[in-house]
Amino acid sequence: MPDRVATTLRGNLDVVGLGALLVVLLAAYRHYDSELFTPASITILSAQFLPLILAAMGQSTVMLAGGIDLSLGSVLALAMAVFAVRAEDGVAVAAVLALAAAASTGAANGVLVAYAGLPPIIVTLAASFLWGGVTLVVLPKPGGSVPAGLVDAYNNGWNGLALPFVVIGLVLLLWKTVRTTRFGLSLYAVGGNEHGAYASGIGVRKVKIGAYALAGVFVGLAGIGLAVQTGSGDATIGAPYTLNSIAASVLAGVSFFGGIGQMRATVLAALLIGLLTNLLLFTGLSPFYQLIMQGAVLIVAIAVKTFATRERTD
Amino acid sequence: MIGRFTRAAVAVTALGALAATAACGVDSGDDSSGDGDGGKSKALKVGWSTIYLTPSWMQQTDKMIKDDVAKLKGEGKIADYQVFNANGDTSQQIAQIRAMIQQKYDVILVDAGSSTALNPAMEQAVNAGITVANFDSLVTSEKVVRVGTDQKEWGRMMGQWLGEKLGGKGKIIAFNGPAGVAVSEERWQGAQEALKKFPDIKVAANVHSEYNLAPAAQAFASAYSANPDIDGVFSQGGALSAAALQTLVKQKKKMVPITGENYNGFLKLWKEQKANGFSSLSTAQPNYLGVIALRAAVAKAGGATVPNQIMVPLPKITDDTLDQYVKADQPDDSYPIQPMPQPEIDKLIGK
Repeated sequence: MPDRVATTLRGNLDVVGLGALLVVLLAAYRHYDSELFTPASITILSAQFLPLILAAMGQSTVMLAGGIDLSLGSVLALAMAVFAVRAEDGVAVAAVLALAAAASTGAANGVLVAYAGLPPIIVTLAASFLWGGVTLVVLPKPGGSVPAGLVDAYNNGWNGLALPFVVIGLVLLLWKTVRTTRFGLSLYAVGGNEHGAYASGIGVRKVKIGAYALAGVFVGLAGIGLAVQTGSGDATIGAPYTLNSIAASVLAGVSFFGGIGQMRATVLAALLIGLLTNLLLFTGLSPFYQLIMQGAVLIVAIAVKTFATRERTD
Repeated sequence: MIGRFTRAAVAVTALGALAATAACGVDSGDDSSGDGDGGKSKALKVGWSTIYLTPSWMQQTDKMIKDDVAKLKGEGKIADYQVFNANGDTSQQIAQIRAMIQQKYDVILVDAGSSTALNPAMEQAVNAGITVANFDSLVTSEKVVRVGTDQKEWGRMMGQWLGEKLGGKGKIIAFNGPAGVAVSEERWQGAQEALKKFPDIKVAANVHSEYNLAPAAQAFASAYSANPDIDGVFSQGGALSAAALQTLVKQKKKMVPITGENYNGFLKLWKEQKANGFSSLSTAQPNYLGVIALRAAVAKAGGATVPNQIMVPLPKITDDTLDQYVKADQPDDSYPIQPMPQPEIDKLIGK
């Protein structure tokens, strides 16, 4: 029996480590905010962290397939803009349009990576300007509007229910389902060993395009979440999410070379990064030292994590 | 196998210790202010969330607010003051406002990264009984105190002066900021309104540029080479004006009037070229907007009635008052400004 526990633990070293760290952070957080575990606080915080969590899931999906997405922030802003511009004519239609926009931009990135054979870092860097420009065409200056009732329900809870929390749960469930399909297995295979996957009959290109499109869906959801959180659209708001999502994925143990990583860990890591920046706001450190602290903690966290799990890649 | 566990355990402990140090390394200052029992006269906890802190204009604003906070602390009106820098990340700014709500700040100042995205967070703060004052880069929410300048009036003032200076006729270049940016569009709208009164003034070219010296110099040089016979320039930003004036000086051309802003690089050049007949009218986005917002918020938190929208008059820098502004010993990239006298601030906030 202890052996089985040990085996489970070993298999989930990332999740366990991040979980332990999360407990420490939450304890420290509670020191500053005694109302942390009240429903109101949980709703507000999950509303705030949802976009980063979903963006990080998108980034992890692409990274698992051996790619990277530098256009993530632009696509997020595009989805946000589309949703905010159309939300008044019906939230559902707007959400579908925003998701479709994000998924197709993702697929377009995937096509370029898969067929042109260009390095993902170059393709998606170029794409970030492209989608950034398209976003400005959709929404030249901050505006659009989201029904006030929805904004309120999202930020302050709906019948005592933390909607963002539910969304994250549903998306994780979606991922779990995808992961067990042929596509989900192929994703890890292509990321882990592209040539091997090809040799065993996996349509490598299709899988790559699918991965970027699925990432687009996650990022689109993040954009919609941000639009609902802020009650509007803003073309410039997405940029920081690109690097933050990469940081969360790396912290979660998703390999830059593809094929290794767990989505649960990504969600925890994104949560950690969000909590950490919030916590630093509470400390009363001067703003520039907060940036230094944030960077230092991330570097140490990633270094320690690499050190703790190094054997795996030996 | 055991080794890996030990490592993992060490790692987690190390990380935990680090996080704990990060969290607890600084004393939270609220213990001291906890037992204030003086009702309305209680010293306030004030925070400023700004989208950027590093540009020189922000640094000067930061210093001006800090000086004023020191004064108000001396009077016992402020207990604690914190600056939060979002470093260009609007989502981070939302987090900052939320953190200040949770930490029960009394006053929140905001220089906004988005005119719309912060509205829900700021209105939540207002609903929690916090006084929120927004300045410089304004938001659309009407529930917060907003302190700013009228950008259309900026353009109108410059257009009017240029029209009069040219005696109502001549050819000018319009030198605007980036297309599609609200500030740039509003200033140009104002200028067009004013120039309508001078039908004999023709706009030979309408040039757009970022508010930076290098791109501005290139943009102006090409427009000027196509229209070397202009009689004046409507410029809506200090770096733009500096670029235009530099071009005239470098090419040893006749000086024509150029409107400007309190960008020290331009003011220095203006002073130097005054002897050669150069003339300008400049204005400024005054750094004391932050101080006015602070004073208004402190007054409101103390129970006073404060107007919800405070439009601060634009300062005028003329050929005669130039010497009070230009700072020869300071870098080009700074924005010299005279502080606003306290009675005038009091008048603006309705005291």
